[in-house]
Amino acid sequence: MLAALDQLAIQRAKTGDLEALEQLYRAYEGLVYTLARRLCRTEEDAEDVLQETFLEVCRSIGRFRGAEQASLTAWIKRVAASKALMRLRSDRYREADSLEDGPELTNPREPDVALQMDLETALARLPERSRIVVWLHDVEGYTHEDIAELMGMTVSFSKSQLARAHARLRRWLRR
Amino acid sequence: MSGIHCSMEDLLAIRDGQGSAAARRHLETCAECREEYELLHQRIAALKALPSFSPPRDRWPAVKEALVAERRRRKFLGWFSLAAAASVAIFLALRFAAPATEGEALDQVTLEELVTQSQMLEEALRSFDPTSRVLSGRAAGAIADLEDQIALLDAQLAEAQAGRVDPSIVRELWAERVRLLDALVRVHATRAAYVGL
Repeated sequence: MLAALDQLAIQRAKTGDLEALEQLYRAYEGLVYTLARRLCRTEEDAEDVLQETFLEVCRSIGRFRGAEQASLTAWIKRVAASKALMRLRSDRYREADSLEDGPELTNPREPDVALQMDLETALARLPERSRIVVWLHDVEGYTHEDIAELMGMTVSFSKSQLARAHARLRRWLRR
Repeated sequence: MSGIHCSMEDLLAIRDGQGSAAARRHLETCAECREEYELLHQRIAALKALPSFSPPRDRWPAVKEALVAERRRRKFLGWFSLAAAASVAIFLALRFAAPATEGEALDQVTLEELVTQSQMLEEALRSFDPTSRVLSGRAAGAIADLEDQIALLDAQLAEAQAGRVDPSIVRELWAERVRLLDALVRVHATRAAYVGL
């Protein structure tokens, strides 16, 4: 649950006031860390993304034009997603990811009895890019155009990744 | 639509309000596809309901420390530039406000002329917009070298004036500054004429 920040606190944070910036951090650390955990592979990476995100937010909040918490939330999430994806774009991840995006499913509606699992496990088992697209689209509400821009891929690739991810989840979850 | 039933792409497109008319029509009449569509909604609802995480360690102290260090660096650089400019101004004000001998008066005039020349050259430099034209590697190198020398000289000038050194040394430093600024203006003027051809 996101802690409420009043406009005065946002304005103070914009002036660089350290107490207000800490208030901002406390209000958003859970949300940013959760997003980072869903996009990154490890807890350590997610923690680093949390730190990098807030350094960027604290440096740039003076230039942030919005005054409402909703637009601030969207901006902070965007910074966090961008930091996480930057980390994932490194060679070590790209190489690993290309190996795990398995073959097409013949019949996605047919449950895989041997692999039945809970949602958390199934989500973690998805290939990196599929998992990121599912999370950004279905949970965070990003459009395929947003995702394509953030991840540096085409809109149709984002759509196909989402469909493949849901087909897999459908089989593994039997629902 | 692919085959008899809606594909996952079709269902996702319908969910996003972008499905084809054929897929929508099929969904209305096919119980199996409607069930798939309902499962899709349930999956998405379950994804949204997954628990959030709390960071295992407090990262604010590290963020704050980095911010404070950055601010300290910026402040130091700001004060250094300000101090250099202020010490030059104070020196000139004190130097010309004080009673002077005949010999010193000559020095004052010379120093004043040098300062005026320096100001005129800086005004001339401002007329060259560094972002508007492409620099050759050689011109960029020459400009960077001269700017470095001027920055070093400004630091020496500020130090000399703060330390109450012989006015003739200060005058020599100003003369050197005028020479460097003049060279810098010439490089910019040549580059502007060359690019403008």
